Amino acid sequence: MKKKVIVACGGAVATSTVAANKVVDLCKENGIDIEIIQCRISEIRSHLDGVSLIVPTSRLKQDLGVPVISGMPFISGVGEEELKQKILDVLKG
Amino acid sequence: MKKRLIVTNSEAESREEIFQTLGSLLIREGYCRDTYIQALKDREREYPTGLDMGEIGVAIPHTDASHVLKSAMAIAVLKKPVSFEVMGGDEGEIVNVSLVVAMAIRDTEAHLNQVQALLKILQDNSILRELISAESPEEVIHIIKGKEEKT
Repeated sequence: MKKKVIVACGGAVATSTVAANKVVDLCKENGIDIEIIQCRISEIRSHLDGVSLIVPTSRLKQDLGVPVISGMPFISGVGEEELKQKILDVLKG
Repeated sequence: MKKRLIVTNSEAESREEIFQTLGSLLIREGYCRDTYIQALKDREREYPTGLDMGEIGVAIPHTDASHVLKSAMAIAVLKKPVSFEVMGGDEGEIVNVSLVVAMAIRDTEAHLNQVQALLKILQDNSILRELISAESPEEVIHIIKGKEEKT
């Protein structure tokens, strides 16, 4: 079954696009079938149905009952490998 | 990368001053609407853009396409670091920023390539060190071009 992943940032144009691309590549390399929803932080709530993971590149304060892993290492490059492993752990588990 | 959109030895002492400087350049050169500067400021307050790239801080302020006429990037190399809140960080978490790239984004597709290319450059600490000591716009362009050719 396809896993749904939300990638979100302030405006859904800049950093979340970069992060979404990285998540797609990562899952492809590891044979994980996913559907990416790219949206603004403020729109996350309306996309939560059936979501396995949220990867925000902005501050996300609310607890939405879904695993959240910050996508910032995709932007800064600092800790990117660890981030990839964390995402795989959630999506494979 | 346009010479006229690059400022070196900037004496700006606050985020607002930097937005003013870079925003004015983008507006004057016809890349952004008059609303761009205020939009940058508002957006930064809600979704900060400071990035800790390991040893050097950078910031990539940007805002909605509705304030942009043509995609471009404007760069400021700061004489003294200015504090920015960290993108995705906790409230009040700051990073001292030495290089600011204001992104004017018109369409997402073209923009994605630009942003990815930019991030690749910024993620290389040796290039970043060279960039923050650049003394002229020509030097900034030379450093970035050199990096692009290597990759």
